[in-house]
Amino acid sequence: MGTTTVIKRAKPPPPPPIVRQARQIRPGEAAETLYVVSSACTIILLVVVWVLVQMLALGRLSESRAQHLLFNEYRTQLATETAPTGALDYDGKPVAEGSPVALMSIPALGVDDVVVDGTASGDLLDGPGHLRTTPLPGNAGTSLVMGRSATYGAPFAKITSLRPGDDIVVLGAQGRVTYTVTDLRRAGDPIPAAPVGTHAGRLILATADGSGFLYRLRARDVVYVDADTTKAFPSGPVYPSVPNAEKAMQHDPAAWPLLVLLLAFLAALVLAVSIARRHVRAVLVWLVAAPVAIALAWAVTDQVMRLLPNLM
Amino acid sequence: MRLLALLAALAFGGAGIVAALPGSSASAAQSCATQYGKGSHGDGWSASEALTRSFYDANGATRTSNCFHLSVNKHTDLQDHERITVNWTGAHVTGGRSLNPYGETGLPQEYPVVLMECRGLDPKDYPDERVPKGAEAVSPDTCWTNTYFQRTNSADPGQGIWEQDASNGDDTDHIQGIDPGQIPTDCNVNANFDYLITPFETGKGKVYAGCSSQSMPPEATVNSVSIPNEAYAFTNTDGTGSFPFEVRTSLENQSLGCSSSVRCTLEVIPIDGITCDNTDATAPCNQTGDLPPGQVNTGQAPQDAVAPAFWASASNWERRVPVPLDFAQPPTVCTVAKAGKPVPFYGSELLDQAALQWIPAYCLNKRRFNWQDNVMPDDAAFGLMQGGTAAAAEVSGRGQGDTGIGYAPTAATGWAVAYDIDKPDNAGQETTLKLNALLLAKLLTESYPGSTTVAAAHPGFKTNPLSLNLDPDFTKLNPGLDVSHWSEAAATILATSTSSQVMDEVTSYIAADPRAMAFVDGKPEHDGPYTMRVNPAYQKMRLPVDSWPQLDTWQFRAAPNSCLKAQGTSMPPYMPLLANPMTSMQLVAQALLYSWPNVETGCTGTGTTSDPYQLGRIAPQGYGNRFMLGLVTLGDAQRYGLTTASLQAASGHYVAADSAGIKAALSLAEPTSKLRPFDLTQASIRTSKKAYPGSMVVYTAAKTYGLATSTAADVAQFIRVSTTEGQQPGRGNGQLAAGYVPIAKTGVTKRLYGQAQQVADAIAKQKAPPSQPPTGGGTPPPSHPSGSQPPPTTPSDAPTGGPPSSQPPAPSGSTSPIASGPIVTTAAVTSRTGGGLMLALIGVGALASLGVLAGRIALWRKGVRWAPRP
Repeated sequence: MGTTTVIKRAKPPPPPPIVRQARQIRPGEAAETLYVVSSACTIILLVVVWVLVQMLALGRLSESRAQHLLFNEYRTQLATETAPTGALDYDGKPVAEGSPVALMSIPALGVDDVVVDGTASGDLLDGPGHLRTTPLPGNAGTSLVMGRSATYGAPFAKITSLRPGDDIVVLGAQGRVTYTVTDLRRAGDPIPAAPVGTHAGRLILATADGSGFLYRLRARDVVYVDADTTKAFPSGPVYPSVPNAEKAMQHDPAAWPLLVLLLAFLAALVLAVSIARRHVRAVLVWLVAAPVAIALAWAVTDQVMRLLPNLM
Repeated sequence: MRLLALLAALAFGGAGIVAALPGSSASAAQSCATQYGKGSHGDGWSASEALTRSFYDANGATRTSNCFHLSVNKHTDLQDHERITVNWTGAHVTGGRSLNPYGETGLPQEYPVVLMECRGLDPKDYPDERVPKGAEAVSPDTCWTNTYFQRTNSADPGQGIWEQDASNGDDTDHIQGIDPGQIPTDCNVNANFDYLITPFETGKGKVYAGCSSQSMPPEATVNSVSIPNEAYAFTNTDGTGSFPFEVRTSLENQSLGCSSSVRCTLEVIPIDGITCDNTDATAPCNQTGDLPPGQVNTGQAPQDAVAPAFWASASNWERRVPVPLDFAQPPTVCTVAKAGKPVPFYGSELLDQAALQWIPAYCLNKRRFNWQDNVMPDDAAFGLMQGGTAAAAEVSGRGQGDTGIGYAPTAATGWAVAYDIDKPDNAGQETTLKLNALLLAKLLTESYPGSTTVAAAHPGFKTNPLSLNLDPDFTKLNPGLDVSHWSEAAATILATSTSSQVMDEVTSYIAADPRAMAFVDGKPEHDGPYTMRVNPAYQKMRLPVDSWPQLDTWQFRAAPNSCLKAQGTSMPPYMPLLANPMTSMQLVAQALLYSWPNVETGCTGTGTTSDPYQLGRIAPQGYGNRFMLGLVTLGDAQRYGLTTASLQAASGHYVAADSAGIKAALSLAEPTSKLRPFDLTQASIRTSKKAYPGSMVVYTAAKTYGLATSTAADVAQFIRVSTTEGQQPGRGNGQLAAGYVPIAKTGVTKRLYGQAQQVADAIAKQKAPPSQPPTGGGTPPPSHPSGSQPPPTTPSDAPTGGPPSSQPPAPSGSTSPIASGPIVTTAAVTSRTGGGLMLALIGVGALASLGVLAGRIALWRKGVRWAPRP
């Protein structure tokens, strides 16, 4: 931004060559509007690039760090036999949203994830989430796990390439259960009959899917993968219902308050930078402001993600 | 005893000295042979007994003789609460009838007929007056009474009527009937009086002295939900009488303990007077009663010699007529572990009484599965079946999204309006009643005020008749009933609050009648002094509905009822207190059994903190003044001996709720396709002169593919057994109860039978459809999801009930797409934001970078510094 452009124009030799200096914009000049538009475009470009970068690249970092922490937490719970078997933990308190409830690996895809409890948009930033009205994966009954298809690590990006017969291995509080994929369903496909038997279980994976040009980035329709097992474990209690935000392709309006607060901080930062630049050298100002700006931008984007459909 | 009676009959009949007492029959007395035995037809049973009484009156030694003849309509394979109709002739006319014949309130009468359930066999029923070896014999000690007043009598020394009883040998012991050592201290037995105490002995041999409320068996509770078992019925002036006696089993009365393994006897004791050998005609034992025959007792005490309180005194006890009772195996026989894992079906209450007899035929047969039948609203049951929680549903109509479901006709039965209505002036119970859709609409819409105060205060009620019996529309159809009194119970019909196909049919019946619908829509009915308008809360109500809503929210602020007044502005709406529907038709039947309206405007308490006002059910109606109606199943009506009304079919034709009426209706039912329910509409019934409008068919609905093989085999077995063996009318295990029309291979039910077998085959085969589901006629299966509904967010959102292993099946209203088998398809869940956001961002980014580039170039060309210097 501090770039200075020096423009030289050659003139016929007789008059002594005049070097025309680029001049300041005068207030009220038509070029001022042009300048404002150009600056606005710059800001928009910055924001868009940042959001895309965070969704597709930085979010991956964020997700893998969350997975690392969740794995350690769940590993400890398994070792101490305190991992939950249903909606309640070993103390009888409700399992906190976003805490780990199972390990799931899909050898065919190289997926190896910790499943968290809850399927709101915010929960799925950390990895695949378990719909809380269904039994936990690995338990008898029909369990549903949702995951993102494009952003924040995109753990379920490739589940549409699963084929009947592929294995899904779930390690839960009560042991290891191997599900076998039976089909891939999109809207209009028949739903197979519920598994029969007291130990029968079904795991449904759900993510969003698109089609056409850049289909990976066009997460529009929900797609399901059914996988059955005949040897599931008994289930603990499950929630009778969940808020709308935890259903497929819903957003979480609860993000608004925090988002507004963070945007206010961002505005304050802009104000502080512009004041500081009148008194201090720009380099010094940016040295201090840049990390804060990046942190705020990151946090704001995380909140914006909560306001977007949970499976994209 | 029998010889004596025969001799007496010969001697006195021959001499022609027949006492001219009302109720005595000269011809019968001439040849009145004591005789017990099976009735001429069906499960009936009858008996004759010569009743003789010798005593002294103004003319000296006198002897009266009555030939008592008794018949009952059934006495074997009885179920708990089943009602036996007992008819008799030749009894002494009852003086001073009691309004409530049950329990102690029936005591103040003269010459009633005592009916009690007693454990054991009666020696009278056996040739040498000895019960078979090992069997318990009936004695007064095994006869049930609800209070100790009915077991204990006291009198001044020597004055007890039992002490003057010649049949008792004029025994004047201080305490009779019980070993004095067995009397507990709380009985206050003292030397100043003489006592006749009849203890009660339980089936296990425990003896309750029966001389105080503490020394009665635990089941003897006063003011409990059910009414007392024993009754003191009245005899009409012509010597005839009739009483519906309700039997109790060990399910309800453990102390009495009657069951399929413990035999019991209904003892009918016609009170005919104490036999007296005191020549003083004024002695108490020579009394012949002074209460007016055929009239209601207004509070006078009966004379001891002819009072029922002394039923256990020898003269009375010897005149007993024993009816042997034989009980069916209770449904609990199937809950034992060796019966196997129960396979529950869910659904219509219409099947209840049939199921009661069918269930033991499954669990007691090793080659059959352990069938269970649970009552549940049709829709919910259908959902459970679709969801795989239940093997099959018992429904009376099509369910939602029933592709691939087969419906097998299982029972042809229906609903009825049962009633307890007495003719005025103690002329007995009304046995025929006609009702039509208009009257049902008036009753259900709560358009009768029930009292003058409500009529004056409730909007729109000013010119309405106060209750049904005052409505000219009703009295024209049913002349000769009480037209001078009104009551809140007579202003309503006791119906059910739960959702069911039956209510759907009842309201369809109303909806098919133009006059009834005109009334509901607000057209006033001008009739005699009345102009009847529909209750504004129900005006323009759309029918049919599958559960009747309580819409009237009017509060009776000026209520004279102190319980309501005490609640101030938070008082409950008034009209729903009158209608106060029950949760099941079984409870409605029970309310009718006890003539106990469910009107909730009764008020008890004094308003103090220790005795607060309590709104509650009004008292049972007294015999002679009954008027109540209720919606019941035909099975219950038959089991409990309820009288049912004829309903209007074609204009001017009223059809009784019997098998002829149901068969005529079934002949109108049209098949729709080979797996679907038949089409039987109220519109077609209205064209018939013989079809009963309450007819309904119960179908066993189950999946024709997607069921586990063993479950499919069970369901198919059930359909095959229930449509063959289960359609044999009878009272035994596995037979078809009364109230159901047999579905047979021939006659009008031929098509129903044929379809049942086809559906059973389809269910047994479990063959998946080739590509298209096998839809026949009828409406196309509802698509899923429907466009206007908020989209179901995820298909697996519905299995919220938790794992099948940890929770009992819960009724779930909505069907769950995941669990519904292949007949349901995956719902579309899409998000335009999700699909377009990232592309839009990329687009916006590209535009913005173009903007930046263009701006920079333009500024450069103008020679303007691209950014201000700080």
